[in-house]
Amino acid sequence: MREVEPPHPRSPMRVLIVDDSSLVRLYYRAALERSGLAVEQAINGLEAMEKVLTQPFDLVIVDINMPGMDGISFVRSLRRSAPDVARLPVLVITTEAGQQDLGEARKAGANFYLVKPVSEESLLRHVAALTGAPR
Amino acid sequence: MSFAENKRYFIDRRLAERIAATQSGSFLAYFALLRSDAGHEIEHLVNAFTVNETYFYREDHQLRCLTSDLLADIVRRKPVGESIRIWSIPCSTGEEPYSIAIWLMENWSEVDRHNIEIVGSDIDTRALKAAAKGVYGARALMRLPRSIIDRYFKPVGDDRHQIDPGLRNSIQFTRANLVDVHDMARYRNFDVVLCRNVLIYFDDSSRRVAAENLHECIRPGGYICLGHSETMSRITQLFRVCRFPDAIVYQKPEANDA
Repeated sequence: MREVEPPHPRSPMRVLIVDDSSLVRLYYRAALERSGLAVEQAINGLEAMEKVLTQPFDLVIVDINMPGMDGISFVRSLRRSAPDVARLPVLVITTEAGQQDLGEARKAGANFYLVKPVSEESLLRHVAALTGAPR
Repeated sequence: MSFAENKRYFIDRRLAERIAATQSGSFLAYFALLRSDAGHEIEHLVNAFTVNETYFYREDHQLRCLTSDLLADIVRRKPVGESIRIWSIPCSTGEEPYSIAIWLMENWSEVDRHNIEIVGSDIDTRALKAAAKGVYGARALMRLPRSIIDRYFKPVGDDRHQIDPGLRNSIQFTRANLVDVHDMARYRNFDVVLCRNVLIYFDDSSRRVAAENLHECIRPGGYICLGHSETMSRITQLFRVCRFPDAIVYQKPEANDA
């Protein structure tokens, strides 16, 4: 469970989307922005690590299969970071083909996973659940 | 490049425009300029001959056909992990490849499940530059609902809108000449090709060369869409006619059912 944070001066909620396909990033981003969230993007785990270490986020949505640093390695290094970064909730998204890696993702410390295709409704529902945001 | 006789007026007009633009004064003077290729005039002339006027969601029945029939068939036969490759040629100033990307995000529930590669090619380097920049006037956007304009474009003044950088990065723009076999050899393994309203400008032999080149660029079982006034059957028998509820498209037969 995530600790309850005091109300934050910054708003809106900030989500980092990590996927190597710019079309997929854009698809998720459009859905999240429609419901008022601020979205940042990264093309692999390495770029995502740079961003979570230098910018505040409320949630990371990460694909498993990516060139460079993949989603599982990202979750592992995230969980080994400084405490305020390490406790960021992570939603893993993968294709059916990547489903065999989900156990590994959970062991690495992912909070929840979804299998593609992910509908806008399902994405928003899980984002709300993981960030504790009202919908 | 060659043009049918009934396109003579079009050629004359564009040629006259270039003669005026270069202040050549006469065709002979302009021809001399062309032969010396001063100021890359050949490229300017090619650019003038290629028509660049289109708009987003033009011939949207083909986009509907893509998401309601073609992609399901392609995905069904596709090995796990293989990209879906879509080619817009000629792509002019980018309206068509961008329309495909937007259409897929708005209308295809499986859009995040596949790696989708969209390539836009044109012979006109000036058009390709404009495509990469992605700034459009009201006319180009007239068919798009307001909500889509707000989502994928940002206003840049003067009633003009620029395409989202994320969308820009998801499309690869390249120069290609449909009738140049070496040029076309760089393009392979497309699942869907949109080649609209360009073959009508070619004469019979160029048209056949272009169709044969395109055939080589398409995966077995892949599809090609032409403009609504064009038909592949009169050009070549390499493709099979497929009548879907939203559009007539042409399929490259698979090896085992050719």
